[in-house]
Amino acid sequence: MEMILAGLLDAISPVSLMYVFIGVAIGVLIGAIPGINGPMAIALFIPITYYMTPLTAIGFLVGLNKGAFFGGAVSAVLLRTPGTPEAAATSWDGYPLTQQGKGEKALRMALYSSVAGDFISTVVLILIAAPLAAVALFMGPAEIFALISLALTVIAGIGTTSICRGLIAAGLGLLAGMIGTEPVTALPRLTFDVYQLGGGLSLVPVAIGLLAFSEILIQMERFTGKGSGAHAANVFSSKREDRLLSRKEFFANTRTLLRGSAIGIGVGAMPGLGAPVASFMSYDQAMKRSKHKEEFGQGRLEGIAASESANSSVVASSLIPLFVLGIPGNLAAAMLMGAFMIFGMQPGPLMFKENAQLMYGIYGSLLIASLFLAVIGRFGLRAFCKAVEIPAMILYPIVIFTCIMGSYLGRSDMFDVGVMLTFGVIGYFMRKFDFSYVAFLIGFILVPEWERTLQQVVIISENNPTMFFERPVAVGLMVLTFFVIGKTFWGNIKAGRDCREPKTKSTPQAENN
Amino acid sequence: MTRIQRETIANLVIVGFCLVMLMWAIPTYTPKYPGYGASPRLVPNVAVGIMMVMAGLSLVRLLLARFAGKTLPPAEHHYPEEAQSTGFTQIGRINLRNLALFMIPSILLVVGIEDLGYVPTAFLFLMVLQYVIGNRKWIQMTVLSIVVVAVMYIIMRYGFGVPVPGPQLFE
Repeated sequence: MEMILAGLLDAISPVSLMYVFIGVAIGVLIGAIPGINGPMAIALFIPITYYMTPLTAIGFLVGLNKGAFFGGAVSAVLLRTPGTPEAAATSWDGYPLTQQGKGEKALRMALYSSVAGDFISTVVLILIAAPLAAVALFMGPAEIFALISLALTVIAGIGTTSICRGLIAAGLGLLAGMIGTEPVTALPRLTFDVYQLGGGLSLVPVAIGLLAFSEILIQMERFTGKGSGAHAANVFSSKREDRLLSRKEFFANTRTLLRGSAIGIGVGAMPGLGAPVASFMSYDQAMKRSKHKEEFGQGRLEGIAASESANSSVVASSLIPLFVLGIPGNLAAAMLMGAFMIFGMQPGPLMFKENAQLMYGIYGSLLIASLFLAVIGRFGLRAFCKAVEIPAMILYPIVIFTCIMGSYLGRSDMFDVGVMLTFGVIGYFMRKFDFSYVAFLIGFILVPEWERTLQQVVIISENNPTMFFERPVAVGLMVLTFFVIGKTFWGNIKAGRDCREPKTKSTPQAENN
Repeated sequence: MTRIQRETIANLVIVGFCLVMLMWAIPTYTPKYPGYGASPRLVPNVAVGIMMVMAGLSLVRLLLARFAGKTLPPAEHHYPEEAQSTGFTQIGRINLRNLALFMIPSILLVVGIEDLGYVPTAFLFLMVLQYVIGNRKWIQMTVLSIVVVAVMYIIMRYGFGVPVPGPQLFE
């Protein structure tokens, strides 16, 4: 109880409150800009957190992520250009409302749905993470090794249309994560005699390169030589009833909000699915259960409530596998895991024992971030709407320069900038060829723990591989892993055999890609 | 170039990379087995093995499709506009010219900053970048470059106490 109180007191300290507030505000602003999302924002801002305490840093990054999730809805509603992938479903009903002059009403619905989904999900996280972590403490190295193996195969499906390419990307991530000092011999491994690689590749330049720089390289292909400036029109009607959201309108969607939150929590708690899945699933359910199905896609508030409550509830629930098992459920959680590791902490069940006060402080910051999101969104709505109109020719040079200086900031070494640029190009090709950079990053982050547990298993068992068979949970998890890989093999062979003549079904554009 | 050709080339590059790693890089740049625990080569070999098997599998599949005179299954053929613009990947043509337009100034910045110093190099970099993107308003370009360089300098130098790279202007 003392720990809980101390943690919560830390969370409401003025410095902590200030950073959470700044995080949420920057998150909304960044999320509103098409092409910049939460994980990308976390990657860009991690270097700044070197100069914070662990609680303020995690509070700041969590606030950033929460803000970005709502911010994605701003451009989705105003421009039909979702700022983040998970806001795509929000645009289906949000943009028609904007065209009717009810953009502000749509944004208010998105805001309150986001806050509701996020708050419910945070409460669920607080209630179940610690008890589940207590159970997870009974897992030994064999189980953790098997669990990470399973997570890597499941996560390989994120961000690509082919799990095969996902596994290749995960393999490349594992390989990149092994560069540096080998844990048992303490000798350099795969450093190619480059002394800067002796300490391994830093997460920050790798993440900035893959997430931010490569994205900007692709975005710029659209704007080079042309310039760009999006213009949101017809957002704020002069009629009060078109701008404001009445209580009746909000509470008419209570069921949808609760259903969306439940879907978001379920999807977020399972590694590998992510917010876009939750958002589409919730929208689909809302439409199927609605009495006004025909109005979906034409500006129905229920559609916005379904999408936003589900995608925002993923933010907190994706921390459940991270806090309970030490496995990130999605990219944002992976980036937060990286932030924990920068502070010398390994997320997982032991966190509740070793850093209990910090964990309760983080819980407090999560709740405060929800509150700040409501306040900042409510009073800053009009200002954030302006963010979508920042011209690309002004924004992107600033983002590129921030990528460069952010990579330098960590170790004050231009070598890291070179690493960032290299991974920017790798990320560019990965995106163009549909290789999942999400799987790459998660592989990169998880490999030290994966190798550590493998070494523990081998050393404890004195090189006896049958030791695995004495651990039924580990065996079950490994069987599942091989099942997923086997299914991939079979699926690929079958797909090759079952290819259909595309002339009637494919588009020439797709063929030429 | 069709998607089958693109994917075949990509998978061949991956297989080639894996062979180089397995036959040269891992044996040369990995410590010897110390006699306890797992070999330091085990995990790198597993990672490369996964990549090679998956790339090989993809090649088999592409060959099967090619010999049958068919193309990829419809599910992988259709990338709805929405998925392209909002998803994680943006499958499409490689624009090497565009890539070079942004990478060359970035590389020159990394190389030049150590000799010329942060202020002139960063200023020039931002000017070039804005020009490449299509900005032709010279006053706006100059003001933006000065403001960004100055703000970043102040944040780094006085906010975080980190010296900016290269020769210092005010020392």
